[in-house]
Amino acid sequence: MASVLSINNVTKFYGSLKALNNVSFEVPEQSVFGILGPNGSGKITLLGILLDVLKANNGNILWFGHPPTMDDRKKIGSLLETPNFYQYLSPVNNLKITHSISGRGSIDEIDTILKKVKLYERKDNRFNQFSLGMKQRLAIAAALLGSPKVLVLDEPTNGLDPVGIAEIRELIIELRNNGHTIIMASHLLDEVEKVCTHVAILKTGNLLTTGNVNEVLTDDDIIELSAYDLNKLAEILKHYGKNISIDVKMNAVSITLPKGTAKLDDVNKFCFDKGIILNHLILKKQRLEAKFFELTNN
Amino acid sequence: MNSPITNKTQMKSLLKTEWLKIKYYRAFWWITGITTLAYPGINFLFYNVYSKIGDNKDQVSRMAKFLIGNPFSFPEAWHTVAYFSSYFVFLPAVVVIMFITNEYTFKTHRQNIIDGWSRNQFMLSKLIDVVIISMIVTVLLAIISFLFGLINKSESNGTMFDMSYYIVLFLLQTFSQLSIAFLIGFLIRKAFLSLGIFLFYFLILEPILVNVAKFKFDDIGRFLPLAISDRVIPVPAFLGKISPEGYQKALDSIPIHIVLTVIFTTVLWVLCFKINSKRDL
Repeated sequence: MASVLSINNVTKFYGSLKALNNVSFEVPEQSVFGILGPNGSGKITLLGILLDVLKANNGNILWFGHPPTMDDRKKIGSLLETPNFYQYLSPVNNLKITHSISGRGSIDEIDTILKKVKLYERKDNRFNQFSLGMKQRLAIAAALLGSPKVLVLDEPTNGLDPVGIAEIRELIIELRNNGHTIIMASHLLDEVEKVCTHVAILKTGNLLTTGNVNEVLTDDDIIELSAYDLNKLAEILKHYGKNISIDVKMNAVSITLPKGTAKLDDVNKFCFDKGIILNHLILKKQRLEAKFFELTNN
Repeated sequence: MNSPITNKTQMKSLLKTEWLKIKYYRAFWWITGITTLAYPGINFLFYNVYSKIGDNKDQVSRMAKFLIGNPFSFPEAWHTVAYFSSYFVFLPAVVVIMFITNEYTFKTHRQNIIDGWSRNQFMLSKLIDVVIISMIVTVLLAIISFLFGLINKSESNGTMFDMSYYIVLFLLQTFSQLSIAFLIGFLIRKAFLSLGIFLFYFLILEPILVNVAKFKFDDIGRFLPLAISDRVIPVPAFLGKISPEGYQKALDSIPIHIVLTVIFTTVLWVLCFKINSKRDL
């Protein structure tokens, strides 16, 4: 699949602080690409460089296979950091400015898009009378204007209530299903796990890992099983794999196998042949949260 | 690098966008209103002083009036009104500073780029703001000068529009001085700090420096940022009568100050474009 975006050896300093260290990865077309990382990992710096508000000290980026131009940015719907709008203007007039600068969408589309983000009733109020959640909704409306093929969203659910968060999540899935490419930064792992197809994990400016969500998330297969005699089960499993642990509280034994090699029916047959009858057998995917802690703690 | 923008439609789009920002900005309309009152106000004040002299029927006053000539009649009215009105350049300067610092306060200077302007286009849009504001106050000045000229019977031999070039000089001076206000807002980014620095420099610091330099350092103060363009419009003729030699000298140095103002203002904007294309937003 073609790359929407290639990031090549990007390095950025703030004075002597290295905010990004030689970061490279590719964002494939029609993916929902999550950029993950703890606070201060360089997520926003990276997005800032992608959108030309920050200048990289080294390395380069390619949008759609060529060095970025302002016409590329016009085609990208973006929400960076906080919602940035003219405080004294209404949402309609703010979106008119977005339209006027980017050429995306049309004046007629503004009402429709305000209805979509549930701001239509407040369309004549000034922006500075808005709550944080409403500001965020307007920022999403601005990014959606003209239905751009590529969206860059920084913490899109920031400041939203649970209903709002669910709505944005559905919106992102809907966009993904319609073939849009979405690049989003987030520290909400749950959010990323639910919508992203690809991830890149950053820590203090270094890229720890990147790739397909399923590949990054499950480096190893973990099988959890249980039987009447846990000790005997653990004993015989020694012939099957490594990293066997007994969880007394959960009344289960877990065994770690190399990625993609866990075959539950094989395990079941193996135990049965050794005279143990299982009463519990499940393949567990390592949750993103656990993986995230594992990766960022090293 | 972005190429300089010469495209007409792009220019129109920038203008349209800036107009969207200006149209609903109340401070802009307030200041425009205040300026509309301030220009005729200060001129009326001096006009009154002049009229009072004429009210006395004694020989000396009439002599004085004859010598002075009516500064508010054509064609000198263009010069007089431009000179007095130029003191109020700090009013539109407030708007100019608000327009640039607003972008930093709202972080829309980033959003405009994110939405697809080049950095140079953003700067050009701000240049358009300063031009628009300079034009508005210049149109105001032209109307007020014209009205003062109309109601005062001309006693000079000159024709009505002889000195109307002072409108152009006023535009040049206003644009140059508003550009300085812009530069301060652009560099400082904080509205009230920028306003404070500009007003302090405009009202206090530079006048002091210019006056000190006048007596001690061979008038080197004429090369200070505001003074460069101040001297494009020298004192009106009737005040010039106090020192005819000095007045002639001031008139003679207008052309050189026009050149200096153009150079200074051009350099200032080139600097703004350069800084803006390099720094993090």
